[in-house]
Amino acid sequence: MTNELPRPTNAELEILTVLWSIGPATVREVYNEISRRRPAQYCTVLKFMQIMAEKGLVRRDEKQRAHVYAAARRREWTQRQLAGDLMERAFSGSAKALLVGALSARKTTKAELAELRKLLDGYQKGER
Amino acid sequence: MRFLESWVTTPLAQALGWTLLHSLWEGAIISALLGAALWATRSARARYAAACVAMLVMLGGISLTLVRMMPERVQGLPGVMTTALPPWNVPRDTGAAGPSGSRLAIVVPWLAPFWIAGVWIFALGQVAGWLWVSRLRRRGVCCAPEHWQKEIERLSARLRVSKAVQILESCLAEVPIVVGHIRPVILMPIGLLAGLPTGQIEAILLHELAHIRRYDYLVNVMQRAAECLLFYHPAVWWISRVIRAERENCCDDVAVAASGSAREYAAALAALEQRRYPDWQAAVASTGGSLVKRIRRLLYPNAASGASTPLFAAAIVITTAVVSLAAWPAKPQRPPAATQGQKSRAETHSYDNWANQEVAYIITGQERVAFKKLTTDEEREKFIEQFWERRNPHPGSPKNEFKEEHYRRIAYANQHFASKTNPGWKTDRGRIYIIYGPPDEVDAHPHGGLFDPPRSGGGVMVVSYPFEVWRYAHFQFSYGVGSVILEFADESSSGDYHMTMDLGKADSELPPGQSRLKTALKFTGDMEDRLSFTREGVQLREGSANLAPRAETSPYDRWLNEEVVYIITREERGAFLKLTTDEERNKFVEQFWERRNPNPGAPENKFKEEHYRRIAYANEHFASNTDPGWKTARGHMYILFGPPDEVDSHPDGPPYPFEEWRYKHAGELGDNVILKFIDPTRDGSYRIAPGPPVMKKSTSH
Repeated sequence: MTNELPRPTNAELEILTVLWSIGPATVREVYNEISRRRPAQYCTVLKFMQIMAEKGLVRRDEKQRAHVYAAARRREWTQRQLAGDLMERAFSGSAKALLVGALSARKTTKAELAELRKLLDGYQKGER
Repeated sequence: MRFLESWVTTPLAQALGWTLLHSLWEGAIISALLGAALWATRSARARYAAACVAMLVMLGGISLTLVRMMPERVQGLPGVMTTALPPWNVPRDTGAAGPSGSRLAIVVPWLAPFWIAGVWIFALGQVAGWLWVSRLRRRGVCCAPEHWQKEIERLSARLRVSKAVQILESCLAEVPIVVGHIRPVILMPIGLLAGLPTGQIEAILLHELAHIRRYDYLVNVMQRAAECLLFYHPAVWWISRVIRAERENCCDDVAVAASGSAREYAAALAALEQRRYPDWQAAVASTGGSLVKRIRRLLYPNAASGASTPLFAAAIVITTAVVSLAAWPAKPQRPPAATQGQKSRAETHSYDNWANQEVAYIITGQERVAFKKLTTDEEREKFIEQFWERRNPHPGSPKNEFKEEHYRRIAYANQHFASKTNPGWKTDRGRIYIIYGPPDEVDAHPHGGLFDPPRSGGGVMVVSYPFEVWRYAHFQFSYGVGSVILEFADESSSGDYHMTMDLGKADSELPPGQSRLKTALKFTGDMEDRLSFTREGVQLREGSANLAPRAETSPYDRWLNEEVVYIITREERGAFLKLTTDEERNKFVEQFWERRNPNPGAPENKFKEEHYRRIAYANEHFASNTDPGWKTARGHMYILFGPPDEVDSHPDGPPYPFEEWRYKHAGELGDNVILKFIDPTRDGSYRIAPGPPVMKKSTSH
């Protein structure tokens, strides 16, 4: 079952994102986070999270009076799952060049990372 | 395919093709200049500006080239007798290119459809990407902790960013990114805000805010559009790469200046990169280490930068230059005759040339004889001077508009009508153009198509080779002014257009032998044969075309233009028109049928009987609202080929009524022919559907 988690819908992804961001949380906390960004209904969030618990997308800790929910999977896992989608792949490929950000969409190899580290270390030593 | 073939010959396709070709060397020059600029300056802002300007110049240059390549500009020639130069549908460089370039001239317009297809593909990709990006700011995001939003506001104020910037955490973003121009959002990968030291996060946010302040998102979108338009151009990709790299450098500079420590900032970038990929997403290919370069630049600003940039520029310059040079000799160049107008005549001119070429179509017989008798060059010079003066619309004035227009027409003919074997002035179209000037209407079908005779209801036909129909509204006959329609066909598809009718046609419209056209053409000796030689391809319509205007018809006219119009040969027709008495005509008709009698000498003529039966049948069954049955397309085919072996009738379509006739043997059309008739207007006036089969001869039973 764990291997066959359903792909989260957009609404579910939003809840997951909150859980990844703030860690395990109650429905109230999740609702607070979501409503910071957009108007939302507490009941809707609650309903969604119950469904997600049934699907196995989140784990529910019932030890306390207010149930605490946590994402069942790490963000990287879900991201990989989403990226496996064919449409997603086709779209994101051409999207990358549209983005501006601190790092290019290209990947850096291990060798380059090592070189980076060396560069920074060398600079540090030279400065001192 | 057929559509593409005909589209390729439009002036737009030609202009596009040449523009694309020209853009190669334009791009080479621009990248050379940009390469020099990059070599000269180390400042990221200056380099960025230079690259952006290069991109703009590239786009501007191409637009300018396209405008200059459009035929309207090329043909805006002064002309006094050209009251209105018609939009010329003739391919611009039909034969205008030199012999080496003619092949290129054919290939070049084909670049246009490929380019358009490429642009579409790239544009689709970009739209898809854009949709994905705009979804990114809504999907899988949540607000960043309150204090980070505050931090953003503080940093925005420090960088003097005027817009309100939102910071969100995204589970889909792999790296910090800026999305949107009007309401910009910084998307941070989840966990990054909590996972890196505050100082480093701040440095990265400064970088992102610098993007927003510099409108990088917007510029990037436009840059992508440019890439999409000029996707085929290596220079554009290179310029785009420079812009992208320098953009990051600019933002790095801003971030370092604001945060104060290059090392701290570089460490933040490195940390960011390091935590970017989880193990499962191992980087596959080396990417040239753009980040390494950036960090090296930040840490050691005075070290020599890699020499690869000028090298790259040089490579682009060389390759594109080679390509363009290869194409260069093929640039449309005016054939010598075009420039021989007035200037260079004195040196190179031979007087024979003058009489036999330059004024061959306008010199009168007497003038020619007189000119031939002259012995000295002075006499000849004087004769030529007088020749033009006689035709000067303002005698005595030094400017002779007639002469100027005449040489303009020669130049135009040479430029537009040259075939493989003949210069433009010698071709049929050139001759007509030189004598009569620009036609009022040109209907060009450079890849054949449906030929719809302008004045007859029936007789639509499929022509598989290029043809043109010219109309002169005010054609100067010796007895007055009238309108004339001329057809030119190019059956071999070699650019060698021939007039499809001799002036038998014109003769039938005016008193015999009085056509000025005919007298004028007589002087061209070797060409006369060609002129009177009828190409059979378009002959089908020829008879019926004359019918409409002739309201009251004699029995002989009716015989010629109605009863046997589809089966009489051109020679027979010419001979018949020359007859003067009714006895002669009666005899001709008799002989006409006898020649076709399957049993010569027998009193009954099966052929004739069958022919009249077919006419009667056609009139009975195929009449439309406007035309008698024999004049319609179905009537025409029925009279030519007899009853079809099979008829497939679809009076309700879809999409509109049509019929298919199958012939096992359809005369000159060949065996197993299917003729399709369509009635798109649903009023019973069936026309032949465009496309094959191709009809070649009208004389068959």
